[in-house]
Amino acid sequence: MMHDSIQQTLSSFIAERILKQPKRTIRPDEPLISSGLIDSFSLVDLALFVEDTFGVHIADTELNASTFDNLEQLSQLILSRKAA
Amino acid sequence: MGVVEILILTAIAAVLGRVRRGRPLALMLVSALVIYWLQPKTAPWDFWLPTLSLFLTLLGWAITTPPETRRLPENALSLAVLLGTLGAILLSARFFPEETPFTSPVSLRRFLPILSGFLVLLIGISLPNRSPRLLPPGLILLLLAIFLVLKSPSLTERSMALIGALLTSNPDGTPAPLPWLGFSYLAFRLLHTLRDRQAGLLPPVTLAEYVNYAIFFPSFTAGPIDRLERFVKELRSPLPFQPDDWLSVLQRLTTGLFKKFVIADLLALISINDRFVFQALAPGWLWLSLASYALRLYFDFSGYTDIAIGLGRLLGIRLPENFNAPFLKPNLTQFWNAWHITLTQWFRAYVFNPLTRSLRAQRALPDALILLIGQVATMVLIGLWHGLTWNFALWGVWHGLGLFVQNRWSEFARVHFSSPDIHPWVQQGLRIGGTLLTFIYFSLSMAFFALSTPELAFTVFLRLLGLA
Repeated sequence: MMHDSIQQTLSSFIAERILKQPKRTIRPDEPLISSGLIDSFSLVDLALFVEDTFGVHIADTELNASTFDNLEQLSQLILSRKAA
Repeated sequence: MGVVEILILTAIAAVLGRVRRGRPLALMLVSALVIYWLQPKTAPWDFWLPTLSLFLTLLGWAITTPPETRRLPENALSLAVLLGTLGAILLSARFFPEETPFTSPVSLRRFLPILSGFLVLLIGISLPNRSPRLLPPGLILLLLAIFLVLKSPSLTERSMALIGALLTSNPDGTPAPLPWLGFSYLAFRLLHTLRDRQAGLLPPVTLAEYVNYAIFFPSFTAGPIDRLERFVKELRSPLPFQPDDWLSVLQRLTTGLFKKFVIADLLALISINDRFVFQALAPGWLWLSLASYALRLYFDFSGYTDIAIGLGRLLGIRLPENFNAPFLKPNLTQFWNAWHITLTQWFRAYVFNPLTRSLRAQRALPDALILLIGQVATMVLIGLWHGLTWNFALWGVWHGLGLFVQNRWSEFARVHFSSPDIHPWVQQGLRIGGTLLTFIYFSLSMAFFALSTPELAFTVFLRLLGLA
């Protein structure tokens, strides 16, 4: 799966399932965690979604803004783990 | 720590920060001396508690480090330096018992067999190629058991009386229980390395690096709680210190001293305590005394953090921030993202996230219930970390419920009132209202935090409403 389509999949999941605003688009560099857009509960949801969809594990200790804080960083993380 | 101790530590950090060769060893040696120096001076605890901190740290390193890193020759040198420091502390107590700042005289007849036993254990863990899988959970359980004993006053008293009788030569003189300086924060750091090791996420580090991480003297007594990988990265390539940096460090240190020793100490005079409840104070005064307690807690603790961060910077290490203007946050979730940040991140990583993940994976409970369980369990544990009392448990329930209700409301508001429809003035008003409400909610929780029994806290709530 390519970088852009990973971002698209993540963006729709966050907009529809986490923010409950299907029409909202999320910019690749929009801060997700540090801005409070995604709370700690939804972050676990996001980790489970990434695991189910891309087969990439994000550990509990990595669910914070220093591991990833936007779609660009998250999709890079997914790609790097898929390649490993 | 008082002002004098902080000034002495600042001078030490300023000199130590300029050391280039043998830096991790020098830093480790000084941190080891400082933890003995800062432990309150009552025999035999002023020797045994810092020594136990060092033993637990060394066990933590041996258990979390892969064999190829454990066997590096530099680790033997670091261990020798640490034992040499211990020897120097013991000699200073033997020959200069009045003058030494480190410890009271120690019975070598009791200490040497314990030290030998510990070293045999340490080497027994370090030498084999494969460590038993039970070691990390074993040390985790030991740390949690010590936590349990230390956080319950009656258990502390009983166990210290028992251990004290074994350690002192005089069986009649049972020493008074003492706080174990820095244990909580040390335990959080060690637990982080043990759990990350179990998850295969911990980078290998040398003995000196691990010990420096665990007992780094600026953050030893009250945090911040750094993460090993971040700390060691800074230790390996310290930030350069330019002449201009003096100004920012001095600013940080004086801000910290002013917050802690002027503002917090003044607020303490009007902060709520048990006596306030018995005096027939008007509701207005009680509101003020609760708000003062909340502000005092902030100024005291964030002042201390400023000092720790300033000292760390002198040593070339940027410690993580612990506070980010929490009282200016418009809701409780954002407040808890900005208050004692390194502690809440620790609990999120090791309690909330794993608990939520496992409940989600079972797919048996509705989302809202999982959220409620996760928030309340985490906040109650944070409460009980302050002490095993009903008051701290209730304080945790108060905040767990607050976070849950606020989360549900935000969710509802996000769907039903999308922001573009709302006039900026209304948004600003809502923000200010939210900030005030969050401050009041936190201040009210101080009734549980500051008073000794739930009855007193509930009496205060009734009085605040003019009902008692």
